[in-house]
Amino acid sequence: MSAVAASLLPKPFLAYVRKIRGPRIQQWAFGIWTVAVFAFLYIPILLLIVFSFNDSRLGLAWEGFTTRWYEQLFRNKVLIGAFKNSMIIATVTTVLSTALGTIGAWLLYRYRFPFQRAIGLLIFVPMVIPEVLMGVSLMVLFSNLLNIPLGYATVIIGHTTFCFPFVLVGVQARLQGIDPFLEEAAMDLGATPIQAFWKVIVPYLMPAIIAGALMSFTLSFDEYIVTVFTSGAGSQTLPLQVYGMARKGLDPQLNALSALFVLGTIILVLFSELIKKRT
Amino acid sequence: MAAVPTAAPVSSHHTRRPGWGAWLFMSPLLLWLLLFVIVPTVMIVVYSFGTKTALGEIRLGFTWENYRKALDWDKLQRLPRDFPDNVRAATAEIVEEESPGSPATWWESTRGLLGGIAKTFNSFLWLKIFLLSIWYAFLTTVICMVVGYPVAYFIGRAPPGARNLLLTLVMIPFWTSFLIRTYAWISLLSRDGLLNGLLMSLRIIPEPLTLMYTPFAVVLGLVYNFLPFMILPIYTSVERLDNAMVEAAYDLGAGPVRAFSQVIIPLTRPGIVAGALLVFVPSIAMFAITTLMGGGKVPTIGEVIQKQFTTARNPPFGSALGTILLLIFIISLWLTRRHREE
Amino acid sequence: MKTKTPLAALAAFTTGILLLAGCGKPTTTTSSETPEATPSAEATPAPNEEEKVLNLFCWTEYVPQSVIDAFTQETGIKVNMQNYESNEEMLQKLLSGGGNYDLIQPSDYMIEAMAKAGYLRPLDKEAIPNLKNIAPEFLDKSFDPGNKYSVPWMAGTVGIVVNTELVKDEIKGYKDVFQEKFKGKIIVLDDARELVSWALASEGIDVNEITPENLQKAREVLADWIPLVAAFDSTSPKDALLKGNVALGVVWNGEGGYILRDDQSGKFKWILPEDGTHLFIDSLAIPNTAKHPKNAELFMNFILRPEINKMIWDEFPYLNPNAEGRKLLTPEQLANAAAFPPDDVVAKMPIFKDIGDQAGAVDEIINELKVQ
Repeated sequence: MSAVAASLLPKPFLAYVRKIRGPRIQQWAFGIWTVAVFAFLYIPILLLIVFSFNDSRLGLAWEGFTTRWYEQLFRNKVLIGAFKNSMIIATVTTVLSTALGTIGAWLLYRYRFPFQRAIGLLIFVPMVIPEVLMGVSLMVLFSNLLNIPLGYATVIIGHTTFCFPFVLVGVQARLQGIDPFLEEAAMDLGATPIQAFWKVIVPYLMPAIIAGALMSFTLSFDEYIVTVFTSGAGSQTLPLQVYGMARKGLDPQLNALSALFVLGTIILVLFSELIKKRT
Repeated sequence: MAAVPTAAPVSSHHTRRPGWGAWLFMSPLLLWLLLFVIVPTVMIVVYSFGTKTALGEIRLGFTWENYRKALDWDKLQRLPRDFPDNVRAATAEIVEEESPGSPATWWESTRGLLGGIAKTFNSFLWLKIFLLSIWYAFLTTVICMVVGYPVAYFIGRAPPGARNLLLTLVMIPFWTSFLIRTYAWISLLSRDGLLNGLLMSLRIIPEPLTLMYTPFAVVLGLVYNFLPFMILPIYTSVERLDNAMVEAAYDLGAGPVRAFSQVIIPLTRPGIVAGALLVFVPSIAMFAITTLMGGGKVPTIGEVIQKQFTTARNPPFGSALGTILLLIFIISLWLTRRHREE
Repeated sequence: MKTKTPLAALAAFTTGILLLAGCGKPTTTTSSETPEATPSAEATPAPNEEEKVLNLFCWTEYVPQSVIDAFTQETGIKVNMQNYESNEEMLQKLLSGGGNYDLIQPSDYMIEAMAKAGYLRPLDKEAIPNLKNIAPEFLDKSFDPGNKYSVPWMAGTVGIVVNTELVKDEIKGYKDVFQEKFKGKIIVLDDARELVSWALASEGIDVNEITPENLQKAREVLADWIPLVAAFDSTSPKDALLKGNVALGVVWNGEGGYILRDDQSGKFKWILPEDGTHLFIDSLAIPNTAKHPKNAELFMNFILRPEINKMIWDEFPYLNPNAEGRKLLTPEQLANAAAFPPDDVVAKMPIFKDIGDQAGAVDEIINELKVQ
């Protein structure tokens, strides 16, 4: 891990510092600030990784090195099951909300629909509405009106409903100031509107789409209240499990699980960058 | 919260009436909005006019009672009488303390007026909770903006290959569980925690600081959890910033301050506005952080509504509070947008 | 589990795609995928011989997985567990009709309220002979006379945890805790009913006499107390106590039980307030919509066995109502002062009655005092 990080991280960083425009002081100030903010973001993560090796159940003080939390974690069917559920739900939610948000933002920008302004406002409703209201009303909707049994599908629908506005708002921000002739130029060259969207608009929007997808995944992976009301037997997610465990005192197994997941993702991301560089 | 990025006023020549194709692709979104946004929202509004049983079950009906309670209607009606009374009482108190017997000076009456306003405001329970929540959300948004902008700018101007990597790294800490992260912060900030231990071993402080259960801890927790939602949209705006524009500003002799205030920040405004929205809106109804880091001493609107559905057993009242929150947002969004379009 | 997971996800995903592609009518699309998303066994109504499934709806982390595994191994009944965090959350979900639950885990006052509203199914006592293991002081309580609907799971009370390193005074009751000099050093449960009941007890008023006059008295007491509190936490107040962020806590006895069990320094002391406190009994009950009531009764009988009861107590050091199960505990475990208050004191503790409409008024008092 550390070797990969060392070979990868400083290079873009240095390259960046050299490339940045404007006076040198500003380059350095922003660079140092960014490093400081990253430190702020990762402090609790480092701490929980350290505590995942702490030989104390309540994690108050350092009482010696142990790997038993990891051993217990691998045997803990319930926790691993909840983690799997969360992964499935967050992944499907991300795909759905990214698609809904991106296509919605583009069409709302590109065309003038009847009730355009009303639609624009409606999109904010799931963001604004307190989660408990959304959870309860969706639960009643699923159980009484639509007759969908509570389970994966209902949780995913609930999560997508409050995630896609985040994508949509981000993509809309990016669409402001887009060259209005970008699409027309593509179509003049013989592209259909769908081709123009895929080949020209989507690449232009890509940074906002990626940002939106990251936000959706994060929001869904950590959502508690909406999940409480829309989940059924067997769709228990990680946050639900963690909240329950808090009553017994948070188990270092949770630290172990988070540590593995975070480190695993970081390695995966760095690794994929490495492969991209090689090819 | 000055403006909203949706439905920007764009030159009309390239916006068209939608054909059947556009309608086809739009229909999933419209359907979703209808089924999972409009229908639940209508249900909540209907609930808010309902009554409840002793067990907390909702009985549909039509009563303004829940709204009357949420707005402290009785107190609102008595306001013309209560407010002067409060001002008089506050002024009398100040006079009594400083110059008993003599008439109030203008300075004393001004302070009396302020005291009266404060006292009147204090008597409104739910309104106060609303405003306190808005205040915390506002503070969080401003700090996130100040802290997050340079980071977003840095990432947005990084070499293209590094951008997605850095962006993902911003997000990864949040793929742990919220509760575990928060407990990690608690063990840092506790009385016997790491920060106090460090500061004391360096002999910077003689005895442990009280950091937990303070407004500082609440704002720290909120900023920590919402910072990425500020960084990401600003990044997308910075990323498409025209290099030539920035260089031109510097070439024309602008210092970094002027380049930012007159060129860069105005150009990245859509991202800033989107980020502010993504942070401000969810942090208004946030409650777990205020409970865990702040000790739950100041109920937020999110927490209060939550409790109506559980221990307080009054879902219709919770629905009424939620509807009011929704109305505040919708009206302010609609007004700012109309203002911008004009 | 393994086969169900991807299938359900796939079903959900297809729905999404269908919706995205915009084909099909909204309602038919959404409901057509229901059969795939449901674990097939639960959807069909039970024949005479109940199928081997039990849908358990219980507090999170309150039923140890080891107990469930042992039950499944012995009976072959598959347990689908789902969790909730409060009695009211359980009720909301149960009433919406979405869950198909066979067995729920309500607390005393909720049993009273649900039985009154006709949501519970009377138990077949013949199927639960192990009920005899429960100590008599936990049976036939006012919330469920004759245990017509419920079987005790775990009981508990509220008391005071004192960090004797930080607090040298002798603490006997609520009034000793809520003193100006302890301002910012107190943690209490974030539970309006509890707070009001402590104030009432400190004034010598019956905690179940929730009248407007008594609420006014409680309010006056709490107006002095609440500004002194550093934190309100019902979930895990033990953390703040163990980390030294607070010196005094008025908390569940199970929290005290953990602290006494896990803290080696011996600086924590557990005190039952002399003003009096109350008893709560978390129980098992069967909703009248249950499809597998026989399996539910089988499970009730199973957990009442002494050795199973011990498995539960080992995870949750609350007040154990199972007299036979207690006999299996070690002397040190029984000596845990927080978990086991003296029997004669327990026998005198009142149990919260359902206060129905007053719940809102109680909650409002605390809200008002918090924002002052």
